[in-house]
Amino acid sequence: MSPRTSAALLRHELRIMATDPSVVVFVLVMPLLMIAFTERLFAAPLASEAAGSQVDGSDFAVPGMAVAFAAFGVGFSGFAFFREHGWGTWERLRATPASPADIMTGKVLPAVLLTTLQVALLFALGGPLFGFTIRGSVLAITVLIVALALALNAFGVAIVAVTRTAQQLNAAGSAGGMVMATMGGAFVPIEVMPSWAATLAPAMPTYWAMRGLRAVIFEGGGIAETALPVLMLMGFTLAFGAVAAWRFRFDETKVHFG
Amino acid sequence: MLEIRGLRKAYGEVVALAGVDLDVPRGRIVSLLGPNGAGKTTLVSIVSGLRHADAGTVRVGDVDALRHPQQARQLIGLAPQELGLYPILTVRRNLQVFGELYGLRGTELESRIGETAAALGVDPLLDRKAGELSGGQKRRVHTAIALLHRPPLLLLDEATVGADIETRGELLGLVRRLAHEGKAAVLYTTHYLHEVEELGATVVIIDEGRVIAAGGVEDLIAEHAQPVVEVAFDGQAPLIDVSAPYEVEDDRIRVPSGEPARTAATLLASLGSDADRVRSVEIVRPSLEAVYLALTGKRYDPTGAGVEEEVSGVAAN
Repeated sequence: MSPRTSAALLRHELRIMATDPSVVVFVLVMPLLMIAFTERLFAAPLASEAAGSQVDGSDFAVPGMAVAFAAFGVGFSGFAFFREHGWGTWERLRATPASPADIMTGKVLPAVLLTTLQVALLFALGGPLFGFTIRGSVLAITVLIVALALALNAFGVAIVAVTRTAQQLNAAGSAGGMVMATMGGAFVPIEVMPSWAATLAPAMPTYWAMRGLRAVIFEGGGIAETALPVLMLMGFTLAFGAVAAWRFRFDETKVHFG
Repeated sequence: MLEIRGLRKAYGEVVALAGVDLDVPRGRIVSLLGPNGAGKTTLVSIVSGLRHADAGTVRVGDVDALRHPQQARQLIGLAPQELGLYPILTVRRNLQVFGELYGLRGTELESRIGETAAALGVDPLLDRKAGELSGGQKRRVHTAIALLHRPPLLLLDEATVGADIETRGELLGLVRRLAHEGKAAVLYTTHYLHEVEELGATVVIIDEGRVIAAGGVEDLIAEHAQPVVEVAFDGQAPLIDVSAPYEVEDDRIRVPSGEPARTAATLLASLGSDADRVRSVEIVRPSLEAVYLALTGKRYDPTGAGVEEEVSGVAAN
């Protein structure tokens, strides 16, 4: 693997992403709207259930929608692979001296950066727009966001590995994102989820992200309080990465829309 | 520069390459010719490290390309059959990213882009998006990507498919120039027989995964095919009295002959009153198509669809 080659591919991928600014609507504008529409809904359940009654609706709505929309975007990294097939450039890339590791890094790292930036920006805008406050460690939040971005994009690569057509990727990405957002306690607080769903929630990486974020935002937690969620997110990253490593075939032909 | 020995590849039950030997020395163009499905693209894919071989060896320069594909790729410029461009990026950006992947940077990269774009006549298009170009222009940019890092081995897979006449002529001219200046060894796959004749390349004819003939165009023709004297008549062609085997098809007679002028004279003299009905006399020089026919007993069908059609005798065009 060559850092120079990976960096060239990373810059290239960022350039491609920059050609389509409509993605900003999905990753930033939509979650901001959802926060505006839902924050008051969350105030009541959280005031009665969460520790202390200082927590207001935006303290849940901002991290909740940020995590939910990050999960909805799990297909993004997948499309970065599929469109190479659609453009006929996948084989061309493979025929260059770039190694599979270079290509993987160059494709996935921009998606991880996008997810990280998305969540970080939503947090940053949450203060001035909705009065959102972080009581605990910003460093702990940063580590959590990066760990979440890695886990979600590892899931993205895993679904690329097991799908052959763009339609399958779209279906798997949408379903996976929706399940992770709702079942993980990001779209609605775990306190108001049906009990069967709350029992299943720890099987979602988003659950651990929300648990860590809530510990910092609601209770003023730091690195110690988020250690377990971060470790769990790293475990998800490894598990999804293992599926990707097992099933990803560089010489497979993917079917793009056209 | 490229040395292939005993290369084999099967996709399940379908044998794509059944033990192919091939050499492309520096400064030479070797044209790999065969109908679609003959195994040409599989061979190119294996040389460029895109597919694994079942058996055999491939050396690119001093590199064992099957064991060290990444090292070999640095020496190869591949223009695949399918166009591969980033339509939403400019031509310059397309060239830049591939140049960078071959290790070019800064002013060297910029000058190579300028030089390669000029050689292919796409320098005025550098700041246009690749997706906005015409088919021929895309084909030129697609080929430019393969040339950018000045590879000692150039693999052009069906380089002129979909290209307009002007683009086709310029691409073939550039390939000839690169080889004749000794800058590259070129493996040029095509299913167009006439392109091979135009390139003046050494020909390797591949059919159903096997090399069935290799050599210069003239040598192959001399070895495997004969000129044909073709006489066309008004009305049905008559029966004639010549010692050589000949073919009658409706209004024409075809006589294969190593001495076609002499045969034509004898034939015309023997026609008697039928000579009044002669509409035209033609000596048809044999082409690669006749070689293919002589070697396989099948008419050459570039699509690979009708290759089972058996033809008797010798035909020429």
